[in-house]
Amino acid sequence: MMENNFNRRDFLKVMGWGGAAVTLTGCGFTSVEDGREVVTSYVEPPEYALPGISVYFNSTCAQCDAGCSVSGRVREGRVLKLEGNTASAINRGKMCGLGQAGVQAHYNPDRVREPLLKGKAISWEEALGLIDGKLKAVKGEEVAFLTGGLSGHVKVMFKNYMDTLGGANHFVYEAASPAVVRASNKKAYGVSMPRLHLDKAKVVMSFGADFLGSWVSPVHFSQQYAAFRKGNRPEGRGVLVQIEPKMTLTGANADRWIPANPGSEGVLALGIINALGKAGLSIPADIAGLTRDYGVDRVSKETGVSVEQINKLAGLLKERTPSLVLVGDAAEGYLHGSQNAAAIALLNRVLGNIGKTIDAPANVPFPQVAPTVGSRSAVKALNDKLTSGKVQVLFTYAANPVFSAPSVLKFKDNLQKVPFKVALAHYMDETAVEADLVLPLDSALEDWGTGVPEYLAEGAQLNIQQPLMEKLYSGTRGVGDILLALLKQRRANEYKGYEDFYSYLRHSLVSIKGVLGGSGKDDDIFWAETLSQGLVKLSGNNGSLAAKANAAGLNLPAPAAEDSNYPLRLIPSVTASMRDGRNANQPWLQESPDPLTTIVWDSWVEIHPKTAARLGIVEGDIIEVASRNGAIKAQAYLFPGIHPDAISIPLGYGHEAMGRYAKNVGANAFAILDQAVDKETGELAMNETRVKLSKVGKRIIVTKEEGPAGGMQMGKKIAVRVASDKVNLSEEI
Amino acid sequence: MHSFLRSVFILAGLCLCVSSHAADALPPLTTADSLGPKVEQPIEFPHNRHAGLRDPADAADPSVPAKGGMEINCMYCHTGARRSNVAAIPPLQKCIGCHRNIESVKETPRIQKLFEYWEAKKPIPWKKVHDLPDFVRFNHERHVKRFVFAQNKPVQEACGYCHGDVKTMTVAQRQKPLSMGWCVTCHEKDHPVSATSSETSHGPNDCWQCHK
Ligand code: SF4
Repeated sequence: MMENNFNRRDFLKVMGWGGAAVTLTGCGFTSVEDGREVVTSYVEPPEYALPGISVYFNSTCAQCDAGCSVSGRVREGRVLKLEGNTASAINRGKMCGLGQAGVQAHYNPDRVREPLLKGKAISWEEALGLIDGKLKAVKGEEVAFLTGGLSGHVKVMFKNYMDTLGGANHFVYEAASPAVVRASNKKAYGVSMPRLHLDKAKVVMSFGADFLGSWVSPVHFSQQYAAFRKGNRPEGRGVLVQIEPKMTLTGANADRWIPANPGSEGVLALGIINALGKAGLSIPADIAGLTRDYGVDRVSKETGVSVEQINKLAGLLKERTPSLVLVGDAAEGYLHGSQNAAAIALLNRVLGNIGKTIDAPANVPFPQVAPTVGSRSAVKALNDKLTSGKVQVLFTYAANPVFSAPSVLKFKDNLQKVPFKVALAHYMDETAVEADLVLPLDSALEDWGTGVPEYLAEGAQLNIQQPLMEKLYSGTRGVGDILLALLKQRRANEYKGYEDFYSYLRHSLVSIKGVLGGSGKDDDIFWAETLSQGLVKLSGNNGSLAAKANAAGLNLPAPAAEDSNYPLRLIPSVTASMRDGRNANQPWLQESPDPLTTIVWDSWVEIHPKTAARLGIVEGDIIEVASRNGAIKAQAYLFPGIHPDAISIPLGYGHEAMGRYAKNVGANAFAILDQAVDKETGELAMNETRVKLSKVGKRIIVTKEEGPAGGMQMGKKIAVRVASDKVNLSEEI
Repeated sequence: MHSFLRSVFILAGLCLCVSSHAADALPPLTTADSLGPKVEQPIEFPHNRHAGLRDPADAADPSVPAKGGMEINCMYCHTGARRSNVAAIPPLQKCIGCHRNIESVKETPRIQKLFEYWEAKKPIPWKKVHDLPDFVRFNHERHVKRFVFAQNKPVQEACGYCHGDVKTMTVAQRQKPLSMGWCVTCHEKDHPVSATSSETSHGPNDCWQCHK
């Protein structure tokens, strides 16, 4: 009886007379569960292994594409924790929270453990034989591959296999990628991902690049940012201005967060250039001609930013050079996203930042391992191909289009037109569920590989991925091993020398050890050193920038007309933990509070308090968010960090499959996006979806920090009391 | 009710240290009322045979044949104790290293079982006898370094503070509560920092020393 009522107040009471109890009982609460757990000792211990003492192995984080180098702590043959590897210029010994959750990708209880044919377990021989048979019956052009971004030797294997099949279509898809920015960079600077020096800038003006949270290489930029904010550097403490309709983590850290009207970022940039000219900065003639019409009054009206503010920004930029102007998700997600980005890039030219804070990246000396980055348009291109019925065999890897393609594309239905779908997958995610054959992959902590990150902090480097521990399940295979086995089916002679992907990888690197800094070294020593370092620095010259940013062809549209049926704009947000949702089944990510709202284990709709008041919405109301292409429901969260004409919903939630921690948690904002695209690049314009809100008549307690008690977490109450004798610690893993 | 009292004891542990400050002697090797349960092991390992005193115990006269115990140093098998958090269960290889050469007991059921595991290259699934909760980080090395190496205490005495008089046991059985309050009773006391020094200090009392 009493144990059920044992609550905090009793606890305090007990504190009061605890001293008296002592004399009666001694100190009673003993160790736990003697004789329940088994302690397994070595049969023959490896030389370096001493129980209780950790060993560290270097590898590469696979949680996002930034390519941070990690050091995994391994004890008694189990990987326990990841730390940053100090040898990498990208992360210099640091990691982000998303990366930390990498161990949960490895130990995840929902991993696929054996090859599945329509849900039934089969052997690898059968699975690979089946693929061989199917491929023999179709032409190369009828095969398609949908992958995430690729680099390193896995990319080489993919390419070799596709070449072998002859004419296979490769679609590289990243649901949340800076695809428009890349294209615009290419135009403005001649390279798609220049090297940025926040640490050398006196002012950083970021048009919606969440470089501290989720943009490109957040751990690296966070370190640059730390240097940028130090008062004792020669340039003095830097000033950060963030212009975006939905406050991101970076926006929250900025000195000024400016929610310009969504879509008007380019106009604001031209307005600032105009004001700079007025303030006496010399503006190149072509740009001056373009910006002549963008006087502060007009710009203020179109952007919603006050005249005073615009003049202040111009003054700041004029006074403090060099500066750095960035373009990110918030500016590129429109029909005129490319135009926005081009207009903003002009600022860097006008301010003379090119060559100072924007620099040429290192060339990757081996183009075959250089990164192939993904775009949002790839899924549309594949979808068109599927509709035409021309794809007979589809391979998917590191991409989950059934989850992340806007539902208006009807991707899932179109997929049914493919007679044979093969998913290389870690989980039974939405795409794997639709596949005919699922090939289970080793986790990133069990697999071999290499990688070259898109954003190179210093020189080019080849990151090494190596197993940190034995495989958990004997039925999974590395992606390289699967591709090698498939290649052996076709080109047995060329590949027969490689027993497995490991031997292929080792041979590939050892055979060019001369250019990898290992000339004159013994093969074994070179290889052991490479593995122990976890990365190889590639020597190579720096590329060069071409300062081509100019006004030609720039024509920003008039502000978008209001839509009375769908009065609000949906800004889907890419959060630091959840990103595009590929890691949603890692409970730490669900459990770690969103940095701005502190909400856990659910989606939410950020609404400006004024807008909410107008619509009669209070925090915790369940809101239906309807676009022209669908509707989702989520809890309302009143948030002053959002433009009053917009709402924001985080991406990555709302899985219908994938695993116990992801399934049915929150709502999928991808699903209701309109298929509107940037006119120049064809990239999905993420911020172009208009929505309307309606209350469904239900209200819940929002589960967040400092919220009222009673919130729920995964459908369960938080911090429920359990009597200590009801807890079986030996089974609590 | 039962668990309610248990919770009381946790708290009680906190207070106990205050009340027991007067007694400065080290705790006795065994406290009858805090014996752990008897644990059934896959092989009934005789600690007394390995670590027990010679019979008759006469260290002064090496010619006395070793009939009873062999007085093997605890750390000969539990090699982690002086250099790791965990004392470590010896690898099977270690058992075999000696027993392959000890003909006299080779045919006994326990040793036969030992060799069965060895031939199958299977680890022996020993049961944990001293199992602390996962939120407690106990470090053997710190204690062994202090008591055995700095203070020159006999190994069996030092290990015995927490494990009791293992040399008299067959299968080890928990002798001490291993609760926080019990740990604190010792950490509250001043101990000489080394065998020769008159300087004293006591064990750390910060929460994070054990709960990190
Ligand atoms: S930024 Fe990406 S690669 Fe780096 S630690 Fe975080 S998740 Fe891993």
